[in-house]
Amino acid sequence: MTLIDLFKSAVNRFPDNVAVKDRRHSLTYKELQSLADGLTAFLIGAGFAHGDRVGLLVDSSVQYVVAYLGILQAGCIAIPLNTDNSRRNLDFVLQQCGVKCLIGQSRYLSRYQLWSMDISIICSDWSDALKKGDKGPGRGVIRWEQAIEKIPDVDAFPDLSNADLACILFTSGTTGEPKGVMLSHGNLVANTRSIVSYLHLKETDSILAVLPFFYSYGSSLLHTHLAVGGTVHIEGQFVYPNKALERMANERITGFAGVPSTFALLLHRSNFNNMRWPYLRYVTQAGGAMAPSLAKRLGDVLLDADIYIMYGQTEATARLSYLPPDRFVDKLDSIGKAIPGVELRVVDEKGHQVSPGQIGEIIARGENIMQGYWGQPEETAKVLRNGWLYTGDLARVDEEGLIYIESRKSDIIKSGAHRISPKEIEEVMAAWPGVHEVAVTGCPDPILGEAIWAFVVPEGNQILEHKAIIRHCHNNLASFKVPHELVELTELPKTTSGKIKKTFLRNEYAIS
Amino acid sequence: MSVHDEIRQFIIDNFLMGQDSDSLKDDSSFLEEGVIDSTGVLELVGFLEENYEIKVEDEELIPENLDSIQNICAYLETKLSG
Repeated sequence: MTLIDLFKSAVNRFPDNVAVKDRRHSLTYKELQSLADGLTAFLIGAGFAHGDRVGLLVDSSVQYVVAYLGILQAGCIAIPLNTDNSRRNLDFVLQQCGVKCLIGQSRYLSRYQLWSMDISIICSDWSDALKKGDKGPGRGVIRWEQAIEKIPDVDAFPDLSNADLACILFTSGTTGEPKGVMLSHGNLVANTRSIVSYLHLKETDSILAVLPFFYSYGSSLLHTHLAVGGTVHIEGQFVYPNKALERMANERITGFAGVPSTFALLLHRSNFNNMRWPYLRYVTQAGGAMAPSLAKRLGDVLLDADIYIMYGQTEATARLSYLPPDRFVDKLDSIGKAIPGVELRVVDEKGHQVSPGQIGEIIARGENIMQGYWGQPEETAKVLRNGWLYTGDLARVDEEGLIYIESRKSDIIKSGAHRISPKEIEEVMAAWPGVHEVAVTGCPDPILGEAIWAFVVPEGNQILEHKAIIRHCHNNLASFKVPHELVELTELPKTTSGKIKKTFLRNEYAIS
Repeated sequence: MSVHDEIRQFIIDNFLMGQDSDSLKDDSSFLEEGVIDSTGVLELVGFLEENYEIKVEDEELIPENLDSIQNICAYLETKLSG
């Protein structure tokens, strides 16, 4: 069973249901299938073979979904790329994966100067690019319309199995370089089915997707709804929450998914509290712990909707646990229990399960666990051991078996919907002349969850121009990785072994 | 510096970091150009509230008021005259 099989089954059952809708376009299941078939035929005709990697640098949109399904159906592996990126990072990913074809939006192809790359480029909005007088599209670039108009010979489509890789999602690595999480069709199908079952999703469901599809949480919204015949309303940029809410009310949307910062924005800077939500059946929250006060407020506003607190990792396709909504009030700070088809344990350093109340590492087993990190067997071996995924998250379990996250082993920053490695930022900042030492950490922020704080020590008596350092970060990092605060210190606090005391920095400067 | 120039300078300094500022027209949509994200909008609101001593209400957080230099200027004019 593959993700394409799940989708095709929904096409057969609900051909006229709306599958995806953004602010410009809407496609029924039948129409979506037909366009995806066109792209699949084009990719096969152009010589892309089973297992070839195809990059996707397109905003969350109807086009994105067509491209994603078309790639998968051709037996190729989709590499969804963060659109808020840096050339340095994109080069790393494209080269590491040996991407042979890139489907990109003109805005990003221009911003990252990718037009002249020595790979096939399909421009998803050629006509817009021409209208804007973009000099980029030149010979050799393929127009989107040209790519999807191909008459498909469905018999030539490859037979896929659950062991075939479907996509590689990139996450922040603790070493600074991103890691490509390899997910097979079997992984996607297992996690999709599990989520569908505990959220009781069906063809009458619809979701307002504000989370980007290049992250696992966003992509799981797409997979689950396309599997049941539901509708994905794509709200690509969650910049103006009131506009999104208006749409949610008008379209009578039944589901909403967010990270803590999504809900902070809704509860603090929108009309969410004053509106009524009779059609909203449930909301889900993952991507880090939501402050209890925020969670309580959410519960107060959504009296008639089920609230699911969830936990997961890209390495587990997306989801690992959920807190049943009837426990939301009394177990607010718990990530709940394993989702169907997944086994979760909290173990000590010897691998033994800890007793209730004791702290250990969460490990997970199930068909949703990734195949490994692309091209990084050593990194894979660190987290996949004896058939278990070692999550790096420390937790305790209560008498009922409900799990509570205590802390994370790695110091990845969770800011908005992003996972950010401090290491990458530190490396970029340390390269600025006059910077002797730098430590980057996440500090509590009412909207973002964590804001990025950088602590810098100048070399000798050098005067550091903060604005110039931040500009240097903008030039070398994706914008969401640029520090929000820069604090200059004469030295960094360290342990006797020389490790920087980031918790001290956090408490001393950001929290106080 | 006029209000218009102050707004333009704020956008360039904080979101464009001095780059591509020539292509930023008064009616360029921040959303369509990918200039601003959700936290950027909040930074912009903070700047407007602090500099012009106004209160941006939740229901005023809409593109019609904030999505281009032109829209911000028109919005500010209404707020300051009201």
